[in-house]
Amino acid sequence: MRLGLLAAMSIIVVRLFFIQIIQHDKWAEKAAAQQTLQNVLPAKRGEIYMMDGNEPVAVVMNATVYTVIVDPMLANRESVEEKLGSLIKDKQIAKWDDVFANRTRRYYIVAKNVERKAAEQIADLDLTGVWLQSNTKRVYPEGELASNLLGFVNAEGIGQYGIEGALNDELTGEDGLLKTIKDINNVALSIGDDNVKIAAKDGENVVLTIDRTMQHNIEKILEKKSQEIGFKNLEAIVMDPNNGEVLAMANYPGYDPANFGNVESAAAYINHVVEDPFEPASVCKTFAFAAATDLGVMTPDKTFTNFGEITIDGWPIRNAEQGANLLGTQTMQTAFNYSLNTGSTQALRWMGGSETEITQTAREKLYEYYFNRFGLGHYTGIELYESPGYLVEPNADMYGLASTYANMTFGQNMQATMVQVAAAISSVVNGGKYYIPTIVAGKMVNGEFIANEEREPVRQTISAQTSASMREMLYNTRKMWRSNGTDPVGYYVGGKTGTAQVIKDGAYSMDETQATYVGVGGKEGELPSYVIMVRVWEEGKLAGGQEHALPVFNDLKNYVQNYLRIQPKTAE
Amino acid sequence: MRPQTYVSRRNSATATTAWSRNYNTVRHTQKSIGPLAYSFLVGLIVLGIGLIYVAQSTRATNYDYELSAIENEISDLQAKKEDLAVEKARLTSIVASENSEVASTMENANAAGYAGE
Repeated sequence: MRLGLLAAMSIIVVRLFFIQIIQHDKWAEKAAAQQTLQNVLPAKRGEIYMMDGNEPVAVVMNATVYTVIVDPMLANRESVEEKLGSLIKDKQIAKWDDVFANRTRRYYIVAKNVERKAAEQIADLDLTGVWLQSNTKRVYPEGELASNLLGFVNAEGIGQYGIEGALNDELTGEDGLLKTIKDINNVALSIGDDNVKIAAKDGENVVLTIDRTMQHNIEKILEKKSQEIGFKNLEAIVMDPNNGEVLAMANYPGYDPANFGNVESAAAYINHVVEDPFEPASVCKTFAFAAATDLGVMTPDKTFTNFGEITIDGWPIRNAEQGANLLGTQTMQTAFNYSLNTGSTQALRWMGGSETEITQTAREKLYEYYFNRFGLGHYTGIELYESPGYLVEPNADMYGLASTYANMTFGQNMQATMVQVAAAISSVVNGGKYYIPTIVAGKMVNGEFIANEEREPVRQTISAQTSASMREMLYNTRKMWRSNGTDPVGYYVGGKTGTAQVIKDGAYSMDETQATYVGVGGKEGELPSYVIMVRVWEEGKLAGGQEHALPVFNDLKNYVQNYLRIQPKTAE
Repeated sequence: MRPQTYVSRRNSATATTAWSRNYNTVRHTQKSIGPLAYSFLVGLIVLGIGLIYVAQSTRATNYDYELSAIENEISDLQAKKEDLAVEKARLTSIVASENSEVASTMENANAAGYAGE
């Protein structure tokens, strides 16, 4: 008896020793897992604002929505169906027959994204076997406004496309951590030595330079013009040339970011203004002529002989305008007015100090202006996903460099984005100051708008004198083509058309072109207040700068001039 | 007054047999507690401290529950605030303003003097 008792005691002691000493760590870990509450404290995603005059207004926000879950084993079908039906309406994602088909299931999601009011009513019903789970959802009170610019947040909470994608890190913030001892109801208790609470760092509330009202009306104009001119895709950017701020960036058609899955293809998400490099065509003559003027080899009155067509490297370079009155000796202003490719090629020749050849010096100088000064063919630095575009280097190891560079003077054999062109044109007309284009005006902190510092130009592209000359050329060109009516008296408006060929399967397509127009305007006698670039295109259709992009620019220009309350110069 | 003579108790011849003033009726001797009582007292103190600790812990835990309830309330109110902000943004959105009853009764303004097409 005694021996038996002793043996039993010994077994217990040995077992206790084994559990408490040998397996101490394992059991301590298990106990901690049961007693410890470890929660991620989610950071709130930052909101996105646009400007409404001088006041920021939220255009992308967060809202709490609820998922309605039913336990088919516990729930009473008749009661649940009758009472819930009217409250979840279009948010219901499961049919009642399916929900209650298998009564042994304990968890069935019947509705998602139910809003707070409805959720409160559901909670008040206190239905057995029905419960709610809260989630955060991105909401877009302005609907489709600037959808391609804003982007969206996917199901994993990661920003995609637009600002949501490009500034995802800033908007996301950093999650916090709560690690404490808990009770049986999962309530965090302050007892315990290893409690940790790291507060979540909410994402930044980003304020865009975009003017909400202007953006809305620009989009409306694009929609209207799309129907009028019969082209499916229209894009526009409005920029302040004196600081590089983007006031509107519109893509038509857009999409509904709240239902981003309802698009035919992911191509619908692309912000063509920054992500889609193309051959900008004759709007680039502005840059070639600016470079030649800045180098002192060209003035608007300087003449050249226009043969209507020239051959370089065996490739013909023709003018679209072949009128007899344009042949022979012509001024560079006429070449600009009629967008003569032979004229811009001549400007390139002059850059290299030759009348007949496109020399290496000419190529290097054009590249210096295009790439290094005007920022064509590389990232601008705007706070968005960008495509860099492409420029052939002046000494690239390839055949046909001379013809390639001749083509570049009228915007072909190169690729640039609309934002690159708009930023470059801004510097051409503002006195030669290049500002990195920006879309971010500042941030909201505790409900207060903290504006970014005043912006400074990063480089001088051309001299102020050249800039003044180019403003004049742009004005004269627009004036000539506005023969059916002039811009209002007291205002300065200049512009240049472009009709770009499209490369399909490695060759220029004969049945598709894209139309562009770059215009600048403001009060007469002052530096321009706005730059607008328009692009019109549709697969398989021929679009013309004069016929299709110019009318769109006119409507946009009229609106912007009015909206910005630009006062005309009064007669002295 | 009759004169009195003080006689020390020690020197008094009648000290052992007769009552006199200031005579100690209690005998003072050094006392000590036994091991059982000692253990009992220590146990009592430990129990007391334990009770105080438990009482304080319970009190702290009550605060934790209170804190948890307040945090939940804050969270609910925050969610409501955000929802109301969203509702406000929807009501003041440009599309809502354009489609409002007031806007529908207004006439379009015509700008004059601009370039046509």
